[in-house]
Amino acid sequence: MQIKKYQSASSTQELAKKEKNPKPWTIFWAKEQKVGYGRKKTAWFSPKGGLYFSIILPKSNIEDLQTLTVLAAFVTAKIIKEDFKLEPFIKLPNDVWVNGKKIAGILTENVIGKEIKLSVMGIGLNTNVEKFSKELKETATSLKIELKKAVDDEKILKKIVNGLKKQLKTISE
Amino acid sequence: MKLKLKLKDKEYEVEISEKEEGVKVKVGEKEFIFEKEKKKEVSTPQLSFEKRSFSEKEIKAPIAGTVTEIFVQEGDVVKKGQKIILLSAMKMENEIISDSDGKIQKILVKKEQKVKEGEILVVLK
Repeated sequence: MQIKKYQSASSTQELAKKEKNPKPWTIFWAKEQKVGYGRKKTAWFSPKGGLYFSIILPKSNIEDLQTLTVLAAFVTAKIIKEDFKLEPFIKLPNDVWVNGKKIAGILTENVIGKEIKLSVMGIGLNTNVEKFSKELKETATSLKIELKKAVDDEKILKKIVNGLKKQLKTISE
Repeated sequence: MKLKLKLKDKEYEVEISEKEEGVKVKVGEKEFIFEKEKKKEVSTPQLSFEKRSFSEKEIKAPIAGTVTEIFVQEGDVVKKGQKIILLSAMKMENEIISDSDGKIQKILVKKEQKVKEGEILVVLK
């Protein structure tokens, strides 16, 4: 797993999609995103403290990519439940909620010409975000807010990626 | 290969040789090079008619979904690999890119329109 770290990025999805030599499982990880986004280009609030990363996925058929997208929410929820003893709720297809508030979002983007040229999955998880704006306070939360303590971003990132690798292997078998 | 040809009462010295770019035929002092591509074109009747149908390309929806964004306008010149349409489908965002250089002749869909798999989105010339 190759991890490319950035202090700040416009969006890790954009970085991954611009990669000239996209190798599967290369991770683009930014400490903050200036223009983080989710499905249908809705903004994903990405201040310092959150975990924002994009993964270049191996070439797969579109059905497997769809399954993997849903499973990414499952993998993330499982870590939240098992490692942090919280009760996550998967809001299908690609959000994870805790205590009625959004904590993680997943977005898979495919670039398609004659065939699928590139697939990039982006995951935004509110890990150590300390507070949200007035507008978001009622709908978003973070692990730190829920647990009242900081969590290790890198450990969580690696756990999610390894979980995804395992799931994709199972799907493609 | 050299040969002499007699047509009516005139004699021609013809030399045929194979070059990298094609076949070279030398008649007297004049040289003619027949490139592989050119040769094919010359031997194709109804050239303009066939060319027309071949030069129009349709960009189709690879999967059923909703058109979320259209990045081009009719008349735009696009390059191979350029983003044409964003299609939300199967819980994913799919950037449909052009497979070749060309000009957008017609856009057949609108933003927020639902499309079926195989439906033509854009005609490229």
